[in-house]
This record gives sequence, C-alpha cells and structure tokens, in this order.
Amino acid sequence: MLEIEIDGAKVSADPGEMLIAVTDRAGIRVPRFCYHKHLSIAANCRMCLVDIEGSPKPKPACSTPIAEGMKIWTHNDKTKISQKAVMEFLLINHPLDCPICDQGGECELQDVAMDYGADISRFTEGKRIVEDKDIGALIQTDMTRCIHCTRCVRFGDEIAGVMEMGATGRGENLKIEPFLAYGIDSELSGNMIDICPVGALTSKPFRYELRSWQMQSVAGVSRHDLVGSNLLSQTYKGKVKRIVARENSDINETWIADRERFSYQGLSHENRLLMPQIKIEGKWQEVTWNVALDFALKGLNNAVLNNKQTDRLGALATNTATLEEFYLLQKILRGVGTQNIDYRLNIKDLDATINLPSNIKLTDLETLDYGLIIGANLRLEQPLINHRLRKAVLSGAMVDVVNVAEFDFNYQPNNHNIIAPNQIALLLAGVLKVVLESTQAEVLPDLQNLNPNATAKQLAARLLRADNAVIVLGEHLLNIPQVAIIAALITQIAQHTDSKTLNTSLSANSKAADLAGFTPGRDGLDANTMLTAQLKAYILLDIYPQYDFYNSPKAIEAFNNADTFIIALNSFKDEVVLEYADILLPIANFYESPGSHVNIEGLVQSFPAAVSAPGEAKPAWKVFKVLADLLQLPGFDYTANQQITSEATMHQNPKLSKVDVSKVDVSIDLTMKKGIDIIWQKSPYAIDVLLRHSPALQMTKIGQINTASMNAATAKKLKLTQTDDYLGVPVVLSETVADDCVFINANRQTWDRGQ
Amino acid sequence: MNEVCFKTIDQDNPHTLATYKKNGGYQIWREILAGKWTPEKIIDELKTSGLRGRGGAGFPTGLKWSFMPRNQAGQKFVVCNSDEGEPGTCKDRDILRFNPHAVIEGMAIGGFVMGATVGYNYIRGEFKEPFYRFEAALAQAYELGLLGKNIHGSGMSFDLYSHLGAGAYICGEETALLESIEGKKGQPRFKPPFPANVGLFGKPTTINNTESFASVPSILSHGGQWFADLGVKNSGGVKLFSVTGHVQKPANFEVPMGIPFKDLLKMAGGVRSGRTLKAVIPGGSSTPVLTAEVAMNMTMDYDSIEHAGSMLGAGSVIVMDDSTCMVKALTRLAHFYYDESCGQCTPCREGTGWLYRILKRIIDGNGKAADIDLLLSVQDKIIGNTICALGDAAAMPVESFLRHFRDEFDHYIKHGKSIIEVKNSGENIK
Repeated sequence: MLEIEIDGAKVSADPGEMLIAVTDRAGIRVPRFCYHKHLSIAANCRMCLVDIEGSPKPKPACSTPIAEGMKIWTHNDKTKISQKAVMEFLLINHPLDCPICDQGGECELQDVAMDYGADISRFTEGKRIVEDKDIGALIQTDMTRCIHCTRCVRFGDEIAGVMEMGATGRGENLKIEPFLAYGIDSELSGNMIDICPVGALTSKPFRYELRSWQMQSVAGVSRHDLVGSNLLSQTYKGKVKRIVARENSDINETWIADRERFSYQGLSHENRLLMPQIKIEGKWQEVTWNVALDFALKGLNNAVLNNKQTDRLGALATNTATLEEFYLLQKILRGVGTQNIDYRLNIKDLDATINLPSNIKLTDLETLDYGLIIGANLRLEQPLINHRLRKAVLSGAMVDVVNVAEFDFNYQPNNHNIIAPNQIALLLAGVLKVVLESTQAEVLPDLQNLNPNATAKQLAARLLRADNAVIVLGEHLLNIPQVAIIAALITQIAQHTDSKTLNTSLSANSKAADLAGFTPGRDGLDANTMLTAQLKAYILLDIYPQYDFYNSPKAIEAFNNADTFIIALNSFKDEVVLEYADILLPIANFYESPGSHVNIEGLVQSFPAAVSAPGEAKPAWKVFKVLADLLQLPGFDYTANQQITSEATMHQNPKLSKVDVSKVDVSIDLTMKKGIDIIWQKSPYAIDVLLRHSPALQMTKIGQINTASMNAATAKKLKLTQTDDYLGVPVVLSETVADDCVFINANRQTWDRGQ
Repeated sequence: MNEVCFKTIDQDNPHTLATYKKNGGYQIWREILAGKWTPEKIIDELKTSGLRGRGGAGFPTGLKWSFMPRNQAGQKFVVCNSDEGEPGTCKDRDILRFNPHAVIEGMAIGGFVMGATVGYNYIRGEFKEPFYRFEAALAQAYELGLLGKNIHGSGMSFDLYSHLGAGAYICGEETALLESIEGKKGQPRFKPPFPANVGLFGKPTTINNTESFASVPSILSHGGQWFADLGVKNSGGVKLFSVTGHVQKPANFEVPMGIPFKDLLKMAGGVRSGRTLKAVIPGGSSTPVLTAEVAMNMTMDYDSIEHAGSMLGAGSVIVMDDSTCMVKALTRLAHFYYDESCGQCTPCREGTGWLYRILKRIIDGNGKAADIDLLLSVQDKIIGNTICALGDAAAMPVESFLRHFRDEFDHYIKHGKSIIEVKNSGENIK
C-alpha cells in the first residue's frame, strides 16, 4: 500500500492503481467520459485532468498511476481551469439539443456541464453534423451527439469480442460508426446504450417514450438464462418501459445480454391473456376470477379428486417460472396426493438425463487456464458465461471445443473438434482411458479394449496439464441416446483431472425447479410418461406445447384428449392452448410478479414485482395459493412471496436423476449407431414466450436465425437441397457440420422433430 | 560543413555502399561485430558527444539509450522515425537519399547497445524516392552480410525493415508511429507507460530520429569529444538545418551548432532580392515565430534559440520576408494542424478546428475585435491538456504570432483586409 494525498487528505492506494480508481473509492468526484472501469483506458476525453504537485501539466486521473507521496488536487483552480477548458471543447460541436434527446436527464455530458460548462457558448461557427447509419433494431444512433469517448468501440473490441463499432476518419472528421454495412449484431450490443455517456447511442424501442426521471427503477433478475443477470426494470404508470443493467460484480458485472434488455417489449404485446376464460360446450367465455377458480375446482373434483384418482392428475411448467411458482404448484400436487410433476419438457429420454453438477463460480471462470466445451454454442446460449470464459482466454487460457457443428466464437478456440453426436461418447471414453492410465488409476473393464484417438489423447493431456480447468456440457446433446453416459464420463474425467464442471444443458430457471422439487420423485410420472398415461387432469403453467416439448404432436394429442380436464395458466393467448384447455387463467410474466431465480451457482436471487400484470392477469403464485385454499390444503397460509422463498429453499427435493454418477456404468453401449442425428435447438431469441413476442429482438440477425444446417453428404442422404425445408426449417448446407448430423436452430414452433 | 550526416553528399553517387565504405562506413559496426565495443562504452561516447535527439525534442541520445532495459529478457526493438512531416523540415529526406547507410549502421549500433535484434525505419508516406534508396541500401547491407541472423558468426543478429507511412503527420509522433507499424490507426498512446518499457508490440522500444541515428557512426569513429567540440556548450556537434521560405537558395545545411543565424541565412543566399527579413520560425512550424531583429542576433543552438523565445526543434528554419501577411501565414499553419489532428482527444480535435475557423473568419473579412482574445484563450486551453504534442504544436504559433504581430491582426479585423497586402498592392506581390 502507498500513501498519497488527495485534496489535503491522506489516502492509501495500491501501487500501480490509476488515480481515478482511488478517487472513486474515496468518493471524490472526478468528472470523466471515456473512463469505464470494465474497459481499457483511453485517456482521450481529457475531462479527468487533475493537478498533481510537481507536474507542470495537469494529468488525466484515469491514466496516471499512483506513486508514493503523490499530492493531487482535484478541485483547485488549475484542475478546474483544465476541466472547464475540456468541457468547452466538448460542447462546441455538441448539438445541445437536450430537450429532444432521449439521453436528457441521464446524460453524463449534461450532468458534468452543469458543473463545468459555461452559460453561453463562445463558439459561433456552424456545428458539426454527422450522418447516421441504421445499425439495427435495437440501437438508435444520433452520432451528431457523439463525443468520441470510444467506450462503444472498446466495448465491442474488449467485451463483445467483435469490433463492430470503430473510429474512422481523423481530426474533426473522426466518426464513430460500424465498420461494416450490416450494422450491429452482437448478442451483447445493448450494453453500448448503457455505456454511451451521451445521446449518441440510445435504445431504439424506447425512443421518445419517456424521460428517465419519470420512471421508477425496480431491481430485477433475468430468468432467460442460467446466469440470473441483475437488472433494473424502469416503469411508468404500471408498464415496464426499459431494462438497464444493474451492477453485480459476482454475476454480470455491468453487462446484460440483449435478450434481457429488450424482452420486456413482449409484456405489452397484444397477445397477452387478460381475462380468465372458461370453455363451456366448446365455447370460450370470459369470466371473473371467482367463477374461473370455482370452475377449476369443480373440474378437478370431477376429474380426479372425487373419484380418488389423484394419480391421474399431472402438473407441467415452463422452465422460466419462478422458484415460488414451482414450489407452490408441486406442493399442491403433492398435497392432493400425486407426484406427477415435471418441467423437463424437451427431453426425449427422462430415464437417461444429464446428471452433472456445476461446481464453479462465475467469477472463477475468468481465472481458468483450460476449458473444454462440449455440445454448446455458449456465446448465444449463455452469453455472460461465455463472456467470463472469453476473459480467461484473453488472459491466456486455452479452450477446446467438441461440437456437432462449428459455431462463431468471439475468441479463438484452440481446436474446433467437429464430431458426429454418436461419436462423442466414444471420444470422451478415450479421454477417460488416457486420464486413468496417466493417473495410474484403475482402468475400468469396459475401457480396456478401447483405442483412444489423437484427439482424445490431446484433450486428456491438456486436462491433465491444466491447473484450473472446467468442462462445460451444453444443451446440444440433451437428446442423443448416449447423453447420460457422456455426463457420467465427464464426471469421471473431471474427478481424475481435478477439473470443475459446468452444466449448461438446462437453461432459464431450471435450477429453481430442481430446488423447489418440481420433479416427479420416485412414484410420479415424468413429463414423457404423463403424456402416454391418459391423465384425467392437468395443471399447465405457461406452456406452449408447439414450442416447449420434445415431442410436440404427442403432447398436443394428449392434452386434446376429450376426457382430460386442463387448467391452463398462460401469460399469452395461444391457438393451440385454446384448443385443448378447459379453463384459461391469465398470469403474470417477467417483472410482473415477485419471485426468485436460482442461477448456475445455486445462488437464489429474489426480486420484487416491478409492475402489475395487465388486465385481470395475476401472479401465478397467488393463483396457486387461492387454488390451494379452495382445495382446503393445509400449509398455504402465505401472505407474502418471501415466505414461500424461505420454505422452498429449505425444502429437501427428491432425487432427480435415475443415473448414479458415483457408479458409472460404462457398459452402456459405446459403439456408434448408424443413422442421422438431429440436434434441435430453439434459436436464442425463441427460447421462451416473452422473447417470442419481443418485436425488436425478432428483427435482429440472431432473432432471424432459422436454419437446418447439414453438410452436403448428409443433405444427399436426406435427398435435400439448399432450397428445401427440413422439418419445416430452411436447409443450409455447411461443411462445418459433422457427418450424419442435422443441427437445427429454429425460431418457429417445433411441431415435429421427425422422431 | 557536411562532416557527419552529409559526409558523402558532395561525392559521386553519394548514396551507394561503395561511397559509404570509402568514407569509413560500417567500420564501427564491423568493430562491434568483432567484439571491440561494449554497449557501455558506446553510451559513454554518446553522452560525451552531447548528441541530442534531432527530431525536435532534443533529449540527450546517450541518456535515452541508457534507459532501455537492455538486459531484460525478450524481444526489444529500435525504431527510426523518418516520418518527417513538420512543415519546414526536409533534412531526413536528404539523409535517406544521400546517406542511407549511415542510418542503417546507426540503427544496427543502436540495436547492439539496447539488445534489440529487430529494427524498423518508418518512412514518411510521401518519400517515395528516399524509401527506394533506403530499401536498396538495406538490400546491399544484407548482401554484404552486415545484417541478419548471427552476423559474420558473431552470434549477434539484427534485422532491419523499412515501413512506408500513409501520409499522416501524426505518425511522426513516436507512439502513433508505433501504432501505425502495428497496423493500427495512427494515433498517439497516452504515457506512461513509455516506449522504453511498453513500446512496439508491447515490447521495450527506443525510437530515434533519422539524423540522430545517422550521426552515431561518425561520433563513434571520431570520438564523442570530437563531435562535442564541433558545436557549443549544451549543443554538441553539427546539425542539419533546413532553410526554406523567402530565401534565394533554400537548402539543407549541415553546420556546427552555435552558428549565427545571420551566417546561416547568408548560406541560403539571404532573403529574396529587394526584400527585408521580417520573421523567422527557427525550428519547424510548431515552434514560436521570432522577429527579424531577435533572429539576427541569435545563434543556432538550443540555448540561444530558447533564450530568443523559441525552440531549435528539428532545425527547420522558415524565413519570412516583409511581403508576408502574418494573419494569412498563421491561418495556413492553423489549417495544417486542423487537418492533421488525429481527433482522438478532445482539446486538439475540437480546438484546432476552432482556431482555424476564427482565423479563416478574420481573413475572410468577418473578424471581430474579440477574436484576438478568443484565439489566445482557445490556444491556452489546448496547451498542456492533450495526449500528445500536436495540440501544443497547433497552439503555440498562435500565441507567438499574436505576441509579435498583433497590430497586423488588429488591422485585418478592423479593415477586413491585410495591411501587408495593401502595402504591397502596387508591387504586384501577393
């Protein structure tokens, strides 16, 4: 520690620290525009110039390292003269159109100008005007207002990993603009709006909506992925008007992904379900909540309760539900005496699921020296987990990939091992064999005759050599037959190489469902067996079967069974749901209900409601509470959501997987299967109902992804050409897809996966 | 005259290897390869010689070379700054044209002293002929085995590359130059860290001017004291002066430091006939202008010119006779800096344009009385607040022009036209 003096007061600081970090910590205000603590130093705005004793010139606090005994004056005349000079220069070409600028009221330039600007400009020449480019559906540009701080340029280069914005031209003609004509496509692009200190980059969907001071900010947590990014939902008159990032260095630093920032648009979509409805003799009628719940109770009584057939009742839920919703719904089901509970709708074989812990903290991902990613397009599926891994790569870590197709990374993986899905277990078995041999562990009998290939040897060597390694298993392999063995092999490899594992195979709020026990337990039916068991009644929480199920036609058929009474709680109207449901209860979506998210670390983050749900829609947890009361179930005396949270987090959930990882049965058939594997993914902005109703996101390049990729040989086998559709998705020929594999990224409904 | 960098200039084919060798060229480098020199000895000789950086800043070269962490492991670089772009200077161009081998030998010596095995010579984009001359010299040096890996079995290596710029003045700023070599947009880096610690490709790097490097072989072969004695106290040796402007014979002259300005002017044939000296910018366009009276009494060395109120800079002497309208001259200079600002930092990006526009308004006849104070205020707000020296370079002439020739500005604003041009109108000089 060094001791320095700031404005006459002694302050201690670490050697090598920049002055601005010290003043920030000490709460001393030094104005700045280009400095951002998560970006590299540019020192170009010159606003943070301060007087340092012994230096003839003022020095920028952002790029002046601390030295022992340094004396700094942040508010003396010399400092003020320099800072006011810079302020005047910044303002001469700035349009000063604050009244019509969206940044007005939350503009760093405006704020600092209040302290350092002059009342009247001495600049009487014509101001610079910069032509705007349309850079896409998310970010509005008004580059005449740009002060060239280059935060957005550095963000692209350093954080998003794609330098989409650049500084072209020089002198007064310096322009900040995308280098390429097609605009900004990064999955993290919206952060440029947050970091732009002026009104040059603002939110396009939010344009001209409101002033920042008119809105209330409510702390929230995203449920789109496994990170649980912290955010602020900014509301006005009961509507979410904008989402901005909320800093949490352990979770998302100051960044959020675009889908977190812009999905709120879906909340005010015209398809929102606003009134309870009941179906009488095939006709839908809007009714009051009392009538609807009464109808629901009667329906349940008739279908299963009165005749003691509670094992013919099932509950299924979307994976974006809150911890409390999962908990209450399972409690109701278990309360009436059934274990038919599940949220794992998109899995082919629930007897052989991935059982792999995530045992590494998000922040520790940055300090890894080796990462092995298996079956994931992490950048689009878990953008902020990918961001942490990218940081590790930038500081020297090596990443290898084992995937069924080559994806666009924003860092350079060492090797893209593109392997047919049915070969992956074999490869990992080879890795395990090499690892076991190298560590002098006993080689399992089933591995004795295995001949590890060069890739297996290479991956094993790297895992063994690494001090801090992680193996990431993503969602692509969820439905291949060997998935359970793959997870088991990864567990073993990790144990013997002292590596961590990260399971990104289930997304959204799946961890909350697990924690709440929203799983069948020993005697219950799972999501797949329920569909064939001819159940008499279902409670379905925000389910849209044409998107959500592995086998959608089968699910829809089961729900449409004439004898089956279906209570559908939905936040959006949906044709398919209208067809099979007997009662429709309108419920809250994101930001409309308090709740909790459980992230990949197992961290429970609770959030309040920011707004009320529209129309007559209610938070689902309240609906369940009332339903439980009507069913006269004990233990539902909740008055607040937090009571449910505490109960849910203390609850012991039943054992989920039927595969015990401690005793890996590698005798599961490792030999390759002939035939073509289909890896079906919902495209990144189609994973949940809210995203599917967010117009701006759907207009982006990522939102438009709808491809069935395969190589030419596979296409030939399937008798397909580039102009065909495959399972309703346009065919794209790409030699970076593994043999005998079709990789589908669909933003449409998943009617039929051809299996 | 012409004893160091211009040693070969009066001989036939001055730029060839044969001529250079005939004049003792590559002798020092061969001695170094033979193990006859130590880096410490070379640094001592350079310190004795009083050689100061010839690019304009005048930092003692021996001292600069001693700053390099020469024993630190890893790659290190020497870089020659031949991006000679300051209006008024053209000396490095002629070194590259007429004595390119001296630059090569000087850089190789620098590489030896600082433990750098790779060098780059960054040559101004417009210097096509000098670039090809240098390239040819480089090829000859390689052919002779004087450059490359394990030279003459000495275990020493030095590879040298030339890099042609793309026409940006800012790339003469040493860190912008490094960015440009790295393939990035030429804009200065903030300091610290300094290039000696974090330079080209993040490695320790020393950057010297062409003339500085070209002076080194002669200094070492004749001894530092010989060089120092050629000049005066604090300004050792000889220096190239580019005398341009309103003189009869504009040219580069290699003369001893401390030569009276009036002698230098005489060498350039004096001011144009029938004219009298009005003003001199002694060190390149970014240095303050001096009046004739002051200039005629100064000598051409660091101390004397500083005492006179300006800077020796790169030795680029711009001579202006009494036909010069100082308002228009300053406007032209202001336009240059406005055009060449890289735009990275605020005061320079915004301030250079503002200065130019005020001056343009004045010469267009739309000046206001308050404009003089505004000019002074704007230049004062640029000085010292920018990342690199371009901001200062743009601002300093404004202050000196106004200090010495304020009446011309006042007249121009009041009458909307140049007093000088009115005086000259009968004589058809514009």
